Amino acid sequence: MNQKHILDGFRVLDFTQFLAGPTTTRLMAEMGAEVIKIELMPAGDPVHQLPYRRANRSGYYIQQNRGKKSVCVDIRDPKGLELVKELVKSCDVVIENFSPGAIDRMGLGWDVVKALNPEIIMCSISAFGQSGPLSNLPGFDYIAMAVSGVMDMIGDPDQAPYFPMVGIGDVNAGVHALAAINAALLYRYKSGKGQYIDISLLDSYFHSHEINVQAYSGSGGKIVPQRTGHQHYAACPLGLFKCQDGYLFMVVMARQWGPLCKVMGREDLADNPDYATNGRRVKRRDEIVEIIEGWLSNYKRDDALRLLEDMHVPVAPVLSVPEAMEHPHLIERQVIRTIHERGYGELQIPGIPLRFSEFPEPLDLQAPYLGEHNKEVLGNFIGLSAEEVDALEADGVLKSEEIPEGIETIAAS
Amino acid sequence: MSSKHVLDGYKVLDISQYLAGPAATNLMAQMGAEVIKVEIGPHGEPVRSFPYCRDGRSAYFIQQNRGKKSLCLDPKSPEGLDIIKSLVEQCDVFVENFAPGVIARLGLSWEVVKELNPDIIMCSISAFGQEGPLAAYPGFDYIAQAYAAVTDLMGEKDRAPSLPMLAFGDIGTGVHAVTAIGYALLERARNGGGGQFVDVSLLDTYFHHHEVSVQGYSASAGELVPQRNGPHHYAVGPTGIFKSRDGHLIILALLHQWPILCRAMGREKLSDDPRFVDNDVRMENHPEMVEIIESWLQAQDSDEAALAILEKARIPCAPILTVPEAMAHPHMLERNTVRTINDRILGEFQIPGMPLRFSKYEVDENVQAPLLGEHNEEILKEYLALTTGQIRTLEQNNILFSKAV
Repeated sequence: MNQKHILDGFRVLDFTQFLAGPTTTRLMAEMGAEVIKIELMPAGDPVHQLPYRRANRSGYYIQQNRGKKSVCVDIRDPKGLELVKELVKSCDVVIENFSPGAIDRMGLGWDVVKALNPEIIMCSISAFGQSGPLSNLPGFDYIAMAVSGVMDMIGDPDQAPYFPMVGIGDVNAGVHALAAINAALLYRYKSGKGQYIDISLLDSYFHSHEINVQAYSGSGGKIVPQRTGHQHYAACPLGLFKCQDGYLFMVVMARQWGPLCKVMGREDLADNPDYATNGRRVKRRDEIVEIIEGWLSNYKRDDALRLLEDMHVPVAPVLSVPEAMEHPHLIERQVIRTIHERGYGELQIPGIPLRFSEFPEPLDLQAPYLGEHNKEVLGNFIGLSAEEVDALEADGVLKSEEIPEGIETIAAS
Repeated sequence: MSSKHVLDGYKVLDISQYLAGPAATNLMAQMGAEVIKVEIGPHGEPVRSFPYCRDGRSAYFIQQNRGKKSLCLDPKSPEGLDIIKSLVEQCDVFVENFAPGVIARLGLSWEVVKELNPDIIMCSISAFGQEGPLAAYPGFDYIAQAYAAVTDLMGEKDRAPSLPMLAFGDIGTGVHAVTAIGYALLERARNGGGGQFVDVSLLDTYFHHHEVSVQGYSASAGELVPQRNGPHHYAVGPTGIFKSRDGHLIILALLHQWPILCRAMGREKLSDDPRFVDNDVRMENHPEMVEIIESWLQAQDSDEAALAILEKARIPCAPILTVPEAMAHPHMLERNTVRTINDRILGEFQIPGMPLRFSKYEVDENVQAPLLGEHNEEILKEYLALTTGQIRTLEQNNILFSKAV
């Protein structure tokens, strides 16, 4: 069997929009699945409007939707709903990330979906989960982050906390969903049974507490997790240190304390029992940070980096996004990759984080125009003719955006 | 057929330690896989001494290792290596997270492993990946975070960035690993065999989270410069942490939600105000916008009252809970997002819940984290058909270890 990638032949019906759900189905498309992106009338996924936009196309949309097929349909029209139900019958996975309850009100709740196709895996992604007191609130990444106790752990203790300018919660929940869908597909191989999966940003964020929850609970409240700026509260030296032109992150454990003292020309500290254990160093944190930053004030970031690397101290420069995008390691491994997008041109996006030895080459994917695949999908999946699709478009049940002249449409498979 | 959970019947050989690898196999154990945790004697997994510890037992260890079976041995001895090789022959998955190159020096490179078992999925987890200029450097969560330009995006513009006091990177990488392993297993199931090697790294995982910054910087040819921006987002607004009556609240009002927010604040006229009419002008007039929202928040009776108004208008908003507050929140308790477990030695305490919820299965909350080498005898009898006498000899020769910790 000659597969183009792992999920070649799997069909995914994708109602998701914004970020968490589209992350899941993007990875599935990267692994070769046929992803039918259902875009709601009239404008489709709201991220078509998000930056950076060029030539009426959004880089944000492109990054998350490459390789998917777009069907733009009015699901509130009974005819539109029927089309979507027909698609449910021939898909392996259906995934949505509306507010809990919305998919039921559309007439596509799990009970309906499983009656249409008992082998299907249905996954819902939401901010707070499908049940519980918060489930009905509108939610986005940072909202779930705040409720999970994660945001409170970032920043200086006596000031407002911070949140990262990165969609950690959405992408992470998307990968959790991908993992759960996978396990359900594996189970289907053995049992032939589908099932429903409930993924939330809150669960995914809370899952990331490796110390805080068990330590607060296990210690009976003696260990109180708290943000401590740019130095860790439980280990020293572990934090961010200022150089002449930037910051280094450094973590120094038992066997690296001596080498660090040596490289700073402070051998006296290496043998001093007052600094011999992590516990004693934590008590002298301010003094130690001052010593390290005093030494670093003589160096540019990258020069200090080399000295510390030579001593095998775990250390990293705090790179800006542009610096990271130019770093030879990220380029060599295609952690950052350049794509060529129809009607948009060259664009850099993050690489594929799942690397399989059997499928080392990424697939050549393009993001769809709105409704670009109405004819192809409805033809292949439910046997509608081109004329029937045209009629539905004329009735306003389906929509397809005009593809600018000179843009090659994606070949129908 | 009666499965106890989705991965019932799968066998995982797990020589990973610390956090990223154990987080991957933790999820697999919770999904019913048999996970054999190979611990390096005599002390085993280093996190067995991580806080919080009581009676010599680490809650940190327990959280990541419940339901796994512990086999503690010396992998550098020929006998120990042979035991591992026999297990490789019989398992579906092999997970390791040593620094790149170490597993090969132990004699268990992918070439050796696939020779022993062509159907196995081997997953290596590392900070920077298995090759490339940084591959050989020692790596931990925050190191990869700094290289991935995530650290740089947290904190005030003109001051040092901040470190999050939790390990998104390790846990997130564990989830990426379990995903990649699972899809390789799916590939094997549909093709009736055939393993492969999976390379997962913290750097890939962290960088994967850039939803705006990478494409925005690239497509705008450097016009849109990603930067940390204190408590507010640099590209969209209002999205940020606002000073409220009692503390701070987070509010997001994107796209269509701005006029709704204006109405909720009783400032309907603002929705037509040209200073705030779309995201671009709101970002240009950011300080005024923040001031309007903060003065409204501070004029409310309490944060709860403000939240109630915003929630009623369906504006995404939240209080910024501390970890103890989150652990006591009724929503978390109702959904078992925080769950109470009972360890044989450490007793009752709380850990985060299982984030993957399947309609067919409940998570078994009665499983225990293993004592060091607790399953030496069980595994060696079942997989290698060793006798009790042979096992005692291996213990006496310091090939096998066990201890009630």
